[in-house]
Amino acid sequence: MTLLEVDALDAFYGDFQALFDLTINVDAGETVALIGANGAGKTTFLKCLVGLIEAKRGEIRFAGEPIGREPAERISRLGLSLVPEGRLLFASLSVEENLTMGALNRRPGSWTLPRVYDLFPVLRERRRQMPNALSGGQQHMVAIGRALMSNPRLLLCDEISLGLAPLVIDQIYASFARIRAEGASIVLVEQDVKRATSAADRVYCLLKGRVTLQGPARGLARDQLSRAYFGA
Amino acid sequence: MIWIETIVNGVLYGGLYGLLGVGLALIVGVMRVVNLSHGEFIVLSAFVGVSLAHVMPGVHPLILLAPVAVIAFGLGFGLQAVLVNRVVTRPDPFASILLTFGVAVVMRNLMVEIFGADPRTLPAGRLAHASTTIAGLSVGVLPILILIMSVALFTLLQLVIMRTRFGRIVRATADNRDVVRLMGVNPGRVYNVVMGLALALASVAGMLLAIRSSFTPYSGVERLLISFEVVVLGGLGTFWGAMVGGIALGVAELVGLKFDPNAGPLYAHLLFLVVVLMRPNGLFGARP
Repeated sequence: MTLLEVDALDAFYGDFQALFDLTINVDAGETVALIGANGAGKTTFLKCLVGLIEAKRGEIRFAGEPIGREPAERISRLGLSLVPEGRLLFASLSVEENLTMGALNRRPGSWTLPRVYDLFPVLRERRRQMPNALSGGQQHMVAIGRALMSNPRLLLCDEISLGLAPLVIDQIYASFARIRAEGASIVLVEQDVKRATSAADRVYCLLKGRVTLQGPARGLARDQLSRAYFGA
Repeated sequence: MIWIETIVNGVLYGGLYGLLGVGLALIVGVMRVVNLSHGEFIVLSAFVGVSLAHVMPGVHPLILLAPVAVIAFGLGFGLQAVLVNRVVTRPDPFASILLTFGVAVVMRNLMVEIFGADPRTLPAGRLAHASTTIAGLSVGVLPILILIMSVALFTLLQLVIMRTRFGRIVRATADNRDVVRLMGVNPGRVYNVVMGLALALASVAGMLLAIRSSFTPYSGVERLLISFEVVVLGGLGTFWGAMVGGIALGVAELVGLKFDPNAGPLYAHLLFLVVVLMRPNGLFGARP
């Protein structure tokens, strides 16, 4: 079953067109990686999905419902959850308060505060602290936990390996197995191609706002990939 | 002894100033907007109080605080929903400054039209002049009541913001108005309630001030000035800072009046100037 259908999407930042004719699908239960260089439009695409940027032309359907022109606060109730680039935790809220913010538009499902703490045990110890007192990796865990608390059908992760030590990235990627086991689909936005392709079922490569390559994550030829990533 | 009495009275009076300003501090802290019509809403609350007292002559003005606060909440909610939410997301702060300045001018003139320009007070009967002796100091009963009420309201506000689900949403919205939308929160609706709360608090202060001294439709400017000084003295967006800032202003004003009876609030303003020169971020402000 197709969970997310994006058809011929155009999006703008003011007068600047950031996305051109983007067509991307995500099936239920699937993990899709979105790779591309800086400025390829990956973050813009995620912002379109959650409603922070309006889809100018084209169609976005989530679980069959058109959401391209819906406001963000309504879309989030449908089960689309974003782990934003740079985490964007609430600095005046404790770790636990940040997590409970994610449960405001809670859909029925298995993710609860104790289960998020089971997934990232270090957060339980630090639940009363402010996010700024946490390490970068721990802050990422809070951001992921916050997104999970709404029991999303589709979890969107924007550059979650950025600026983290490899060991911490391993830990975070290891959590995806459990997240998928609970039934969520995942869209991973990454600059680290190797990591993205090893975690995902399928890959889309973006270049300057256009899809330049798509296919199963295993068996992508290196030169094909680098051509799509950097352009000819 | 007379000086200690003056300082004690200044502290009691200052609690009221803190209450005037805390609403403004809340608005600045949550939406980074300055409401230049804050003073006019304070004065309007006092007029509403006087009108209610006129309609219900037997009812004590302290009881009228409740309906006036409810009305002020509604006005604040409406002001935000109808007007301020249109400009609150603009990166240019001038939009909200001009808008609320315009609201202030219109309100001032409407109040002259409706209530006339004569000075009014809110009669509080014997309570206005009753005094008691504590540890050899003669202090007014009303000022003590006012300080207790101010501290109670400050504590309540602090609890609501720090301990409740609503307060959590308010703090999160203040941190990042886009990210809360991803959690299903409509920032505009949060702002409506915050503006309502801010003006409800200000209305209580406005009523109490109207018992202490007379006011006209033009008093809003002075009320706004004090509110501003309270907010900046305390440090932008901090509640207890606003309380302490208010008390500092109250003490400065009464002490100043003691040796210079024509000074009015001059010494409060001077204190403000000195503090801002020495600590531009306010007494408790960390952020620049």
